[in-house]
Amino acid sequence: MEEQLKIDFEKLLEKSNFSKKNVEIKRENFENFIEKGFPNRKEENWKFSDINQIISKNIKNLSFYNDLSKPNKIDKSIFIDGLEHNKLVFVNGRIEKIEFDYEEKNKIEMLDDLVLEKSNKINNSLLFLNNAFVSKYFKLIVKKNYSLKKPLIIYNITNKDLISKNINLKLDILLEENSSLKLIEFSNDKSITNFINMNYNFDIQNNSVLKNYKIDNNSNNNVKYSFSNINQDSNSVAEIFLLSSGSEFIKNEINCSLNGKYASAFVNGVFILDKTKHHEIKTNINHLVENTKSYQLIKGVLEATSKAVYQGKIFVDSKAQKTDGYQLSKAILLNEDTEFNAKPELEIYADDVKCSHGSASGSLNEDSIFYLMTRGLNYQEAKKLLINGFLLDVVEKITDPEIKNLIKTFMSLKQ
Amino acid sequence: MLKIKNLKADIENKSILNNFNLEIKPGEVHAIMGPNGSGKSTLSNILSGKKGYDVSGEILFENKNIFELETEERAHKGIFLAFQYPLEIPGVNTNIFLKTSLNAIRKARGEKELDAIEFLKLVKLKARELKFDEDKLNRQLNVGFSGGEKKKNEILQMSILNPKLSILDETDSGLDIDALKIVADGVNSLRKNDNSFLIITHYQRLLDYIKPDYVHVLMNGKIIKSGGPELALELEKKGYENFN
Repeated sequence: MEEQLKIDFEKLLEKSNFSKKNVEIKRENFENFIEKGFPNRKEENWKFSDINQIISKNIKNLSFYNDLSKPNKIDKSIFIDGLEHNKLVFVNGRIEKIEFDYEEKNKIEMLDDLVLEKSNKINNSLLFLNNAFVSKYFKLIVKKNYSLKKPLIIYNITNKDLISKNINLKLDILLEENSSLKLIEFSNDKSITNFINMNYNFDIQNNSVLKNYKIDNNSNNNVKYSFSNINQDSNSVAEIFLLSSGSEFIKNEINCSLNGKYASAFVNGVFILDKTKHHEIKTNINHLVENTKSYQLIKGVLEATSKAVYQGKIFVDSKAQKTDGYQLSKAILLNEDTEFNAKPELEIYADDVKCSHGSASGSLNEDSIFYLMTRGLNYQEAKKLLINGFLLDVVEKITDPEIKNLIKTFMSLKQ
Repeated sequence: MLKIKNLKADIENKSILNNFNLEIKPGEVHAIMGPNGSGKSTLSNILSGKKGYDVSGEILFENKNIFELETEERAHKGIFLAFQYPLEIPGVNTNIFLKTSLNAIRKARGEKELDAIEFLKLVKLKARELKFDEDKLNRQLNVGFSGGEKKKNEILQMSILNPKLSILDETDSGLDIDALKIVADGVNSLRKNDNSFLIITHYQRLLDYIKPDYVHVLMNGKIIKSGGPELALELEKKGYENFN
């Protein structure tokens, strides 16, 4: 693979028009990736999801150079109906559409060709890979005191032409003071067996609100990694919801730093997995100053031989008194061959804090099924009602009614 | 309506019911009384088709053997079980559950399903009759309900589903006297010539409010004595131990 990486990297530099500075940074990142390689289970973070093995098992002859010179056609039928929204469309990793039709033009800014971050600030080999191979690096800025009128949906589309490729996406989002954004990430894959590596950096300034819904709902055989780094200033709110269901493998890693007082982060998610799917949610919530709050609720329903992993870390700095941290994970295992791994980690250096965690997993309660059946529901209907009720609890945490409704539709939870 | 012949039930090689016989005609109210472990709950579970028992014998409902029928098919035919311990079902709205249940049964019977408005009218009427707090109908099924509210909810479900045979498994346990009266009134208001009740209980006190036509004493998995309502009083006086 190293040979392929080198060839593809040189080809990328030759065909693209990167600034001198970026070429230099890309080379550093590339060298670092060559040295470290894909993470494997020996690293604590990757203990339950050996992505090195997962990639070699699922993808034959992975290659890293992707010709992005020609535009791709957008299949408009995949756009979400019944919800007015702004659009950012990626097809096979190439940005094809930026559309903010509902917004005041001078309140939104889109920058491209940013200078990449230096590799010495990174400790994650998939970010090295991303920085080395990403073609365009965008930054969306929401200006001070502006709240987007409609949600923004980032469509991440891959089509049939894409085979055994590594795709890298990178997007920064800055919410200036007193601003707000509702962001839905929605993927639709017609491709199979690719490795899609996504990196989002969010900067949420004072009094701003980010609502981020990551929807992985369409069944596909790709292997994905999504890393979201979130920095929050005072009084800011981050509400993250993950629907983890469609991809063969996806690891969502959320690294959230509460840098300002009264900042709060909510990370909720559901796994709905069948077949051989293997998904992970990894969170690091860093409470770095006084009076910050975090809340995490993760639930899973696992069928066949699927596997879900939740590693939730809460870090409380010695300065972060009056921290309020909470995490709970629960899974229903519908089959003996399913697996749910929950690893809570609490690292607390302050003494006046409130932190709790819990995890439970088990099969569906047969007595509850019997109860529902005595009321005329058949076994399948009773099971579905119980599962939906179990998952609804998490979906109800979504604070935007319109998006909550949309997600209920995706999950067939409409009652 | 219900004819049980030679019913035998084992669980994990332990005999629970043995040579159990009972016949209930339309319009009749039967009470089965027995001490703990006499097989009362097993009987109600088996009538509702709960899995996990080795069963033999015959259970005829309206002259048809229902042995092979699934739990929901028995419900469709008009058998209702009010649970001793109604289960809490998180995330499932009580109203929506009641509507799903009623329409599943109506559909199976070839009747028109009720729309939201028709259903709400019905449920409100029934809830008022049973003095059931209507706000609770918008809460998750039985979640956070008190013992009495759960039992009242069972009777509410019974009155909405309008079954032919209602089995009340220790519905009186855990009820205070006011709740007991409401539950009994609910049952009495459903008494008709064509539907029947099987009331399973420990104590005679419920039978002060719901007058049974027959009382049976269940001990060690079989009925050892049957009689009229006076049998319950005799039992209360003597206790189960001296009854053998």
